[in-house]
Amino acid sequence: MFNPFSVVVADYRRNRLLVGITLALIAIAVAIGVAVIAQERALRQGSARAADDFDLLVGAPGSPTQLVLTSVYLKLQSIPLLGGKVLAQAATATGVRYAAPIAFGDNHGGYPIVGTIADFASRGSALQPTEGRLFAKRGEAVVGAGVPLSIGAVIHPEHGQHHADEAEEHEHEHALTYTVVGRLPARYNVWDKAILVPVEDVWAVHELPTGHEAGSAQIGPPWTLDQLPGVPAIAVKPESVGAAYALRGKFRTSDSMALFPAEVLNELYGTLGDVRDLMSLLALATQALVVLAVLLALLVGFLARARQFAVLRAIGASPGYVFGVIWLEVSVLVAGGAVLGLLLGYGTSWALSGWIATRIGFALPLSMGFEELLLAASLAGIGLIIATLPAVLSLRRPIAEGLKA
Amino acid sequence: MDNSHLRVSDLRFRFAGQPSDLFHIAQLAIPRGRTVGIRGASGAGKTTLLHCLAGIEPVSSGSIRWGNDEISALPPAALTRWRQQRLGLVFQDFHLIEGLSARDNVLLPASFTAWKAASIVRERADALLRRVDIGSPGRAAELLSRGERQRVAVARALLFEPAVVLADEPTASLDPENRDTISRLLLDLVREHDATLIVVSHDTALLDQLDMQFELRDGALQMVEVAHV
Repeated sequence: MFNPFSVVVADYRRNRLLVGITLALIAIAVAIGVAVIAQERALRQGSARAADDFDLLVGAPGSPTQLVLTSVYLKLQSIPLLGGKVLAQAATATGVRYAAPIAFGDNHGGYPIVGTIADFASRGSALQPTEGRLFAKRGEAVVGAGVPLSIGAVIHPEHGQHHADEAEEHEHEHALTYTVVGRLPARYNVWDKAILVPVEDVWAVHELPTGHEAGSAQIGPPWTLDQLPGVPAIAVKPESVGAAYALRGKFRTSDSMALFPAEVLNELYGTLGDVRDLMSLLALATQALVVLAVLLALLVGFLARARQFAVLRAIGASPGYVFGVIWLEVSVLVAGGAVLGLLLGYGTSWALSGWIATRIGFALPLSMGFEELLLAASLAGIGLIIATLPAVLSLRRPIAEGLKA
Repeated sequence: MDNSHLRVSDLRFRFAGQPSDLFHIAQLAIPRGRTVGIRGASGAGKTTLLHCLAGIEPVSSGSIRWGNDEISALPPAALTRWRQQRLGLVFQDFHLIEGLSARDNVLLPASFTAWKAASIVRERADALLRRVDIGSPGRAAELLSRGERQRVAVARALLFEPAVVLADEPTASLDPENRDTISRLLLDLVREHDATLIVVSHDTALLDQLDMQFELRDGALQMVEVAHV
């Protein structure tokens, strides 16, 4: 047995800068690949999870993507309104557990106020409020987990997303107040920032009929057809998968479109996947180039140090010893860089996820996947194999020739 | 037969592609414990001859025996082992490993065959460092003066108490004061160990202190009569 580590460590110590740059280059190359893969997966899983609460969406004919973005991700855009008749139909159609109107317009301190029905707030009784209860009458609100309002707080909605007519706004602010009566558990999506109120209140604020006989204080279905205003979207919870397809067919008419958000997202992933493949390819190419450059630099370094290895052989080191020194010097750098890169990649992903989540409206579930581990491992593996090249080359040179170099 | 008795017979060396031998040594016998100098003009082949005697450069024909070891015929692994255990090499440019301390440089040959040097070897390294007057053995090699580096190199050559010490211009890179120090140390140490020393050098002050001198000229090794004063 021999111990090549003292020479390895001495060589590293002598070339600290080169060692540092090499490690950093390999680590960054690996980190980019890991971050791209991990981030894309997190985005895919996170966005799919956000759509879980929306099995079937019904909206006015138009852009499916817009409808999904507006309702699932609360990226409020002006979308055409759906006639009240469709809501009345949906509420009573067979196979529907609930059909919830989703009506926007107001906000409180930047937290969107969404008018809907209690069944949607509880996702058909699947969610129990963590505090308080669901809204039970006009003027009550239940807030998402991420809304910084305590139970009992009274809020004055500000009308609209932007400052419009000052006088009108003023009027609306005083028209209505909500009292927070409950808080929903976290869903890790943008709906955690929403304030849910009876849709009737939202309609009333906009001076629309409230879906019931004038003067009625009722909230939620059944609706009175001739009192129903238009709504931007209806979230339909079907009773079964079969019912979901039947309902989608039923509401694909000239007056309405019906879609599965998951399907729309799948199309987006198709595009996203292509981009991901391209980015993966770029990351992989970057890695290959970095490793190649690093190995070339190391090879040149070893050739320049041929004399050191000749001296070692001259004073009694075996070929295996010299091979071990050179192989270890390269391998430790490549493997160390790969491990550092994994950590750096996950760290970057983690930091990015927090930042991205605040702009895309859903949490990115970060996980360690097989793909990026494979990436780092195969890079390290290739490095260990390629490291034999300078090691073998150094042994082919006669000792006496190396001493003269 | 003891291990430091050199016998060379019919030794020829020719570089590949050259029409004639660089040197041809018909017979050479050097008894144990002698100190021998080889001088000669640049390009005469002194260093190559030394490398042949060290088993670093394969000979074209003939035989080199150090005691019972015919190093010109040893298999590669045995030759490597012989160099580690039986040979001490001192170079003109010291060839210490920078980044290692003086002590670790002396102990380096031990790491060729052991994970950790035996305690007796480590004690020997410390004794050698004291003997060559290195005050701070923990100091990195690159921080030592040239004279100190060559002293560490001499200590490294003697770690395994070799029967043979070969030195290639050991004083050529040093100032006059350090030349004297290294010459004296080298001679004293090989005499203390009863080793055979062969020095290739231009340094007449060093050569004059040796038992025998040869000159390599026109491919032949000739004894030089030295007038010891």
